[in-house]
Amino acid sequence: MNPTVPALETVNLGKSYGRKWGLQDCSLRLPAGRIAALVGPNGAGKSTLLRMAAGITRPSAGKVEVFGHSPQQQTVEALRRIGYLDQERPLYRSFRVEEMLRFGRQLNPRWDDVIAHNYLRQLGIPTDAVVGRLSGGQQAQVALTMCLAKRPALLLLDEPVAALDPIAREGLMQILLQSVADSNTTVLLSSHALSDLASVCDYVIILSASRVHLADDLDYVLASHRLLVASGVHHSAETPAGVVVISARHSERQTDLLVRVEQPVNDPEWRVIEPTLEEIVLAYLREQQLPDAVNSNMVSRWSLRGEQ
Amino acid sequence: MIWASWRMHRTIYLVSIAIAAVLAIWLYISGTLEASAWTSFTSHNCSPSYPGSSEACMAGLTGTGSFSTVNVWLCGSLPAILGLVLGVPLVAGEIEQRTNRLAWTQSITKNRWLFSKIGVGATIVVGIVGAMAPMIWWWTDAARRSTHIQPSNFDISGFVIVAYALFAFMLGVALGALIRRTGWAFAACIPVFVLVRFVVRLYVRPTLISPTTRSTSVNAPISSVNWQLHSGFVPIGHSAPTASETWSSNSQVIQNCQGLNSNTGKPALSTAYCEKLHHLHYVLQYHPPSHFWSLQLAESAIFLGAALFLLGITVLAVRRWRT
Repeated sequence: MNPTVPALETVNLGKSYGRKWGLQDCSLRLPAGRIAALVGPNGAGKSTLLRMAAGITRPSAGKVEVFGHSPQQQTVEALRRIGYLDQERPLYRSFRVEEMLRFGRQLNPRWDDVIAHNYLRQLGIPTDAVVGRLSGGQQAQVALTMCLAKRPALLLLDEPVAALDPIAREGLMQILLQSVADSNTTVLLSSHALSDLASVCDYVIILSASRVHLADDLDYVLASHRLLVASGVHHSAETPAGVVVISARHSERQTDLLVRVEQPVNDPEWRVIEPTLEEIVLAYLREQQLPDAVNSNMVSRWSLRGEQ
Repeated sequence: MIWASWRMHRTIYLVSIAIAAVLAIWLYISGTLEASAWTSFTSHNCSPSYPGSSEACMAGLTGTGSFSTVNVWLCGSLPAILGLVLGVPLVAGEIEQRTNRLAWTQSITKNRWLFSKIGVGATIVVGIVGAMAPMIWWWTDAARRSTHIQPSNFDISGFVIVAYALFAFMLGVALGALIRRTGWAFAACIPVFVLVRFVVRLYVRPTLISPTTRSTSVNAPISSVNWQLHSGFVPIGHSAPTASETWSSNSQVIQNCQGLNSNTGKPALSTAYCEKLHHLHYVLQYHPPSHFWSLQLAESAIFLGAALFLLGITVLAVRRWRT
């Protein structure tokens, strides 16, 4: 596979539901081989983006390509590269688990039955059980197994761990990582479990209010953001030069700023702390309330990057 | 995908086959009872038209007479109900359960998914109704219902019922794909199917092939083997009313011509005399039993054509589908 072709590329991708936009002006390139976290509040457009990438929702604007193929064309060439786990984890409830696997085997040329059986054994799911009688968590695991056994080049997972207890969550993440390490699969997964993501992902995409706010390597994201703390009330005019304030919180005793930096901050007035991914994400999700200037600043920066 | 198409709707397919088998057994039982009632009726030289017939020899026929009404309803609704029950959930059911999102993200195109599901469903519909057709035919003969050209028999005879069933099936699939809710699709399908069937039966079928016309005396008995369409006085040289007339417009002319004999209260002049006077003749228009297979073929073609049209609609609806 040509490594320069991005696993997923969207250009000004948009989806409107009536007058309301579910996703707007979304331009991003996900390089092959990454495990990308798609984070954002409810209704930010995460599921919409994943469904358009999987080819089951038609974009209202812009284009989306998976390894250079449009998933909208519904060609076998594009479909066999995509593994998609829907948020609702639809399965044929009257099927037995082994019949679900037979379904996958017959409909996918690259299907790996050994992988499927191995994962199900690891997860402790009997193959003669009826899918509809499994617990929600087990159904999610069967659905993910179906995606992995398809051996896609791009896995699109919508809230893969949402219905799982912490132990099952860990087990599922382990299987996901194992599968990805074995096959060099690119993964785009949406989740609310920010703490889980940081240990798994190496790429971050932040969606909020139907727009992409950040899409970059996790290392770069961590390196380019700083938490600035100063005692007393500071106003944005007094922030150090060369930083963009993402989120600011003022209290009577101190001011916390989460900022994006291009170079190290050397201002004696501010204590500089390296933020966690969770802190960065939360700062961006609060960004909707910030002035438009920041917003447009961000958009232009990311469209520039897209053209490189 | 053929196995998957069968497996997804296995329960409803098996239930349909079972219900059809029960209906076939019931037709056999009721047909046998009706046939034996007729046998005893004829062997006792009974006849409904003679008042001397004993109560006893009528009893068998009146006892089995209600079977006929029920069976005509059962056989008439079989193609429609079967087609709709199997057709509506084919696409709408998957969309409702969201399993289309699973099916459409496997390594097969939407069209292959759609065609194999329709192929399996249509095969089962044709298989069931095709197997029932000879059974229904046997029953209509056993119950001594009149000729198959008569509409009430035509509707449940021959291969046209297979075409009705395929039309109902594709109507269910197409409206299901457009409406995406099985309940609403069902509700929409029933009036559409009934309307199409009635329009074709009342206005299209009589004209599918040109009917036979015969000039006859107005008093001659009408044969019950033919499907009688129209009768009336039309100008000599014509076998149907002219453009400005209807079938009944000349009966008044004849009536006025005949006048009334004030003593007897009967017409003063003979019909034959008045026909000659006004250059009219009495014409019967009908389809004889020999038109049966041609009419079946033509009407089946209409319903199969409609089914193909609906297939096209379905393909477009599924291709244009947005979530």
